[in-house]
Amino acid sequence: MKQQTGMTLIVKTITRLTVWLIILYGFYIILHGHLTPGGGFGGGVILALAFLNVLLAYGREFTGKWLKIPFLEKLESFSIILFLLVGISGILAGKLFLANFISKGHKYHLLSAGTIPVFNIIIGIKVAMSLFLVIWILSGLKLEEGEET
Amino acid sequence: MIIYLLCFILFLVGIYGVITKRDLVKIILSIAIMGYSANLFLILFAYKKSALYPILDPILEKSVEISMVDPLPQALVLTSIVIELGTTALLVSLAARLFQKYRTFDITKIRRLLG
Repeated sequence: MKQQTGMTLIVKTITRLTVWLIILYGFYIILHGHLTPGGGFGGGVILALAFLNVLLAYGREFTGKWLKIPFLEKLESFSIILFLLVGISGILAGKLFLANFISKGHKYHLLSAGTIPVFNIIIGIKVAMSLFLVIWILSGLKLEEGEET
Repeated sequence: MIIYLLCFILFLVGIYGVITKRDLVKIILSIAIMGYSANLFLILFAYKKSALYPILDPILEKSVEISMVDPLPQALVLTSIVIELGTTALLVSLAARLFQKYRTFDITKIRRLLG
C-alpha cells in the first residue's frame, strides 16, 4: 500500500477540476476591481484560497513541488517594489506621489480609470502571495510527539 | 435600530466565548467573531437604503436627490480586515508554540510559567 498523503481520491479529483476555475475567478475579480465590488484584496484572497485548496487536498510535499515556494517569496517581495515604482512615476510625470499619469479612458470600460487597475493587479499579487505564505509557514509547524523544533 | 442591537449581540457572543471557553482554538475563533461584529458595525453606519455607489458621475449628479454610500468606513474596514488577519495568524502561531510546549490546548492545564 502506497503511503497516502493528503485527502482521498474524490477530494483530489474535484480539486484538480476546480482549482483553475477558482484561480480564473480570482483574476476576474482583480481585473474588474475598478468596475465591480472586489479588487486587489478580494481577488488576492481568492487566489490564496485556491492554493490553500491544493495544499489541503494534496499535502505539503506536492504543493511545494508544484508552486516553487522560493519564487513565490521573491514575487511577494518584488510586488511592493513595483508598487513604489508606479507611485514614484507619478512624481516623475510632474504630479504628486501615486497620482494618475495615464489616460483615464472611457468610464465603465475595462481599460479605464488610469493607474487603478495597475495597483489592483500589484496588490492582488501581494495579498495572494503573503496570505498563502502565512498558511504555508503555519502548515509547516511540527506538532507531533517527538518532533520538537 | 434593531440592526445595531443585533450587531452588539454578536459582539457579546464573542466576549462570552473568550470568557467561558477553555480551548485556545475556540478563544481565537471568539476573538475573530468580535472583530467581525466591529467591522459589521462600521459598515452598517455607512449603509443607506437605496443609495448609490460612491462614484462622482456628472450624469448622475444632475438627477434628483442623489445619496451615496459613505466610502470612508469601507476603506477603514478593509484595513481592519487585514490587521485582523495578521493578529489571527500571530495568535495561531502562539497557540501552536504552546501546544508544542504543553501538548494541550486547554488553558487550565497551561500553568507552568517556566521558560
